[in-house]
Amino acid sequence: MSIPAYSFLLLSGAIFTLGAVGFLIRRNPLVVFMCIELMLNAVNLAFAAMSRYLNSLDGVVFAFLVITVAAAEVVVGIAIIVQVYRAGREMDVDELDLMKN
Amino acid sequence: MVVAFALLAAWELVTAAGVVAFRRPIYNALSLVANMLGLAILFLILNAQFLFAAQIIVYAGAVMVLFVFIIALLNPGLDLTLRRGSTEWIYGIVFGVVFAGLFGALLYNRGLSGRTGADTPEAISAIGSVQSIGVALYTKFLFPVEVTSILLLVAAVGAVYLAMRKAE
Amino acid sequence: MLLAPLAGFLINALVGRNLPRRIVGWIGAGSIGLAFIFALAILTQVVGGHHLDQSYFTWWSSGQFFVPFNLYVDPLSTLMILVITGVGFLIHVYSIGYMAEDPGFGRFFAYMNLFVFSMLLLVLSGNLVWLIVGWAGVGLCSYLLIGFWYDRPAAVLAARKAFVMNVIGDVGLVFAAFLVFLNLNVLDYNAIFSRVHSLPKGGTIITAICLLLLVGAVAKSAQLPLHTWLPDAMEGPTPVSALIHAATMVTAGVYLVARMHILYDWAPVAAATVAVIGGVTALYAATIGTVQVDIKRVLAYSTMSQIGYMFLAVGIGAYAAGMFHFMTHAFFKALLFMAAGNVIHAFHDDQDIRHMGRLRAGLPVTFWTFLIGTLSISGFPLLAGFFSKDEIIRAALSVSGGEFILGLVALVTAGLTAFYMFRLFIIAFGWEWMADDPRHLHEAIPIQTIPIVILAAGASLGGYVPVANFLAPVFGHGVDIGTGAFLGLAALTLLAAAIGFAVAYLLYARRPELAAVWRARLGPVHTLVERKYYVDELYDRVFVRPGFALGRFFSHVLEPRVIDGAVDGVASFFLLESREWRLIQTGRVRSYGLWTLGGAIGIVVIVAAYLGYLPFRLG
Repeated sequence: MSIPAYSFLLLSGAIFTLGAVGFLIRRNPLVVFMCIELMLNAVNLAFAAMSRYLNSLDGVVFAFLVITVAAAEVVVGIAIIVQVYRAGREMDVDELDLMKN
Repeated sequence: MVVAFALLAAWELVTAAGVVAFRRPIYNALSLVANMLGLAILFLILNAQFLFAAQIIVYAGAVMVLFVFIIALLNPGLDLTLRRGSTEWIYGIVFGVVFAGLFGALLYNRGLSGRTGADTPEAISAIGSVQSIGVALYTKFLFPVEVTSILLLVAAVGAVYLAMRKAE
Repeated sequence: MLLAPLAGFLINALVGRNLPRRIVGWIGAGSIGLAFIFALAILTQVVGGHHLDQSYFTWWSSGQFFVPFNLYVDPLSTLMILVITGVGFLIHVYSIGYMAEDPGFGRFFAYMNLFVFSMLLLVLSGNLVWLIVGWAGVGLCSYLLIGFWYDRPAAVLAARKAFVMNVIGDVGLVFAAFLVFLNLNVLDYNAIFSRVHSLPKGGTIITAICLLLLVGAVAKSAQLPLHTWLPDAMEGPTPVSALIHAATMVTAGVYLVARMHILYDWAPVAAATVAVIGGVTALYAATIGTVQVDIKRVLAYSTMSQIGYMFLAVGIGAYAAGMFHFMTHAFFKALLFMAAGNVIHAFHDDQDIRHMGRLRAGLPVTFWTFLIGTLSISGFPLLAGFFSKDEIIRAALSVSGGEFILGLVALVTAGLTAFYMFRLFIIAFGWEWMADDPRHLHEAIPIQTIPIVILAAGASLGGYVPVANFLAPVFGHGVDIGTGAFLGLAALTLLAAAIGFAVAYLLYARRPELAAVWRARLGPVHTLVERKYYVDELYDRVFVRPGFALGRFFSHVLEPRVIDGAVDGVASFFLLESREWRLIQTGRVRSYGLWTLGGAIGIVVIVAAYLGYLPFRLG
């Protein structure tokens, strides 16, 4: 593999940064969620890359588990968001502060 | 190979920016799908075949479909603008700079050597092949697998419960 | 062997209510009988020279503190268990009859069995820890059994008093154990005995240990100054008095000193204290016994006095003599109590001897057995009491030094013993040989009389048991003083007893008026003795009232202000703190995200700095 390892990591970092920024900026809960997914993906990339470059299975397996957990999390998160929608509230993360204090 | 990587890297960055930037949620979702597909191909380059398949089937195929469905259902086509009347975008800038700086510093100062792994075909195919991952999952990582399955169960139950509640 | 009474206790305690009376009683008595058989088996082994010091399992082991559950069987403990189970068995059988009408029948036997179990544990234990466990166990059972009729306020108070005094003794015992462990690092008998000589003879440490052990013994055996609970303990049922407060528990103190004789040999001051306390108590109790009017109280003070004898004996080093007296005393005291129980039953629970008299016709068996017991305790020739008491007096008089005075005390007390016992007998049973009796009293049922008869035999013949030889492996052989001196001393003792008898006979049988006259003349003295030298009142002033006052202080002042105040203070502190921290929980996802990301950055920075990726280094 002639592609140096750090380029993968750099790419992963860049995607992660974009995801983080998006997470902080956007107001629609669904979009925020998607940014979270983006971050997770970036991390998966990093895992896979290191797994390849260090000749270890651990990274790939862990990435797989991350995918699984992310799926579960999405399910529950979407359910909550749908409930919020059904309750007629604003789809805006700034307004959804029921858990205050 | 390098060319392929460069192209894919560009594709990734663009779609990621798309996820963040678009105003209409549906565009965001589609960008994410594109991003994931690109990522899958990257996995393939890294010889993580199992991950490639899993990414497409589970992530792009199921999770994103769910997202798109919900967006369609809830129809927030009513656009919510990016940032409105709030100063939070400053946070975004700040964090972006910080992160970027962090990564840059990490890489430039010590410079992770462009270490390449074993190049023999056997070694390469050993990592990431479905078979080897399967073996690992059922032996070394048995416990995490079991725990994760319980987690999925919990999530499923939770989702069902939430769906059954009357809207307040 | 331990398990039999334990099983008896458990069965009776748990299911006793459901079983018919007879079964409960026989389980209770039977378990002790079984234990007695085992004890006999052990006897045959020990006579053959086998000792046993066996660990069964390790109970506790942490660092240097190693406590196995081990049992120690040697002539001394064998003697104890034979008496405990043998006399105990007879008393249990007696109780089946005595307690027949009592609603708490099952409970009674359960407690009694538990008591025997604890006592056996105490005696058979091979180390100090289980001794203390057994010690506490018998204390507990004493409390339960004294207060058996818990709807009687007097009984409850007496039980409480007994328990409190007992606990004081327990504290002494436990502290002694602490000292032993601190200085010798071991708690089991063999090790202790072999290491004792490493301590300076007569030094403060060993003396302190022995004195603390003495505190425990004094409390348990009702010697001065921790004696006031014993007379009050007569509130309990008579079999209880017979078993616990005559034959066994109160002798636990004597056993303790005897078992620890190696330590006491090494601390002469402590040993002397034991003897002095014994002698003084013996005299003191005997004087009080001369003016009591409750049949059981007389016997209680008599017990106190006789145990004083035992303490005296072990204090001067005549361990075998002391244990011999223990055995004979068990026989005749249990006998006396049970006979008294018959009398009480016949008079429907009236215990005042002034109401009794002329019992020969109505209760013949009781009459004669009580007479035998009285003769024995007074030292009538050839009966058991004569031999054992004589041994003690002989030992006291033959040793040089201050013990001579104790010997004199013992002699005087012997005379007094004869006096008060015959007084009791004459007043309660009547000297007149009347064939007829207008009151129609009936003798007790056989189940209550047979055990007494058996004990009477023991009281008569027990003197011939070669106890001293039996105990020789433990204590060594006593001093031999030759026949002439022996006979001389025997004659002296006899003389003292005869004087006591004569006076009693004179005053009560022939000329009762004289008794009244003397009482008037000795007015103030009489009152003093009758009030037990005002010891109870003294204790009340000095200990009880201040104790209550302190308790009031704690509950009304200390608790509400100081303790509650502190607790509330802590609570309010937390309340204030949390109010501020709560503001972090804004409820908004975005701020949470900020915090999370910020934290993540922080971690990355720290790790990177450690690893050297950043311009500045941390680790």
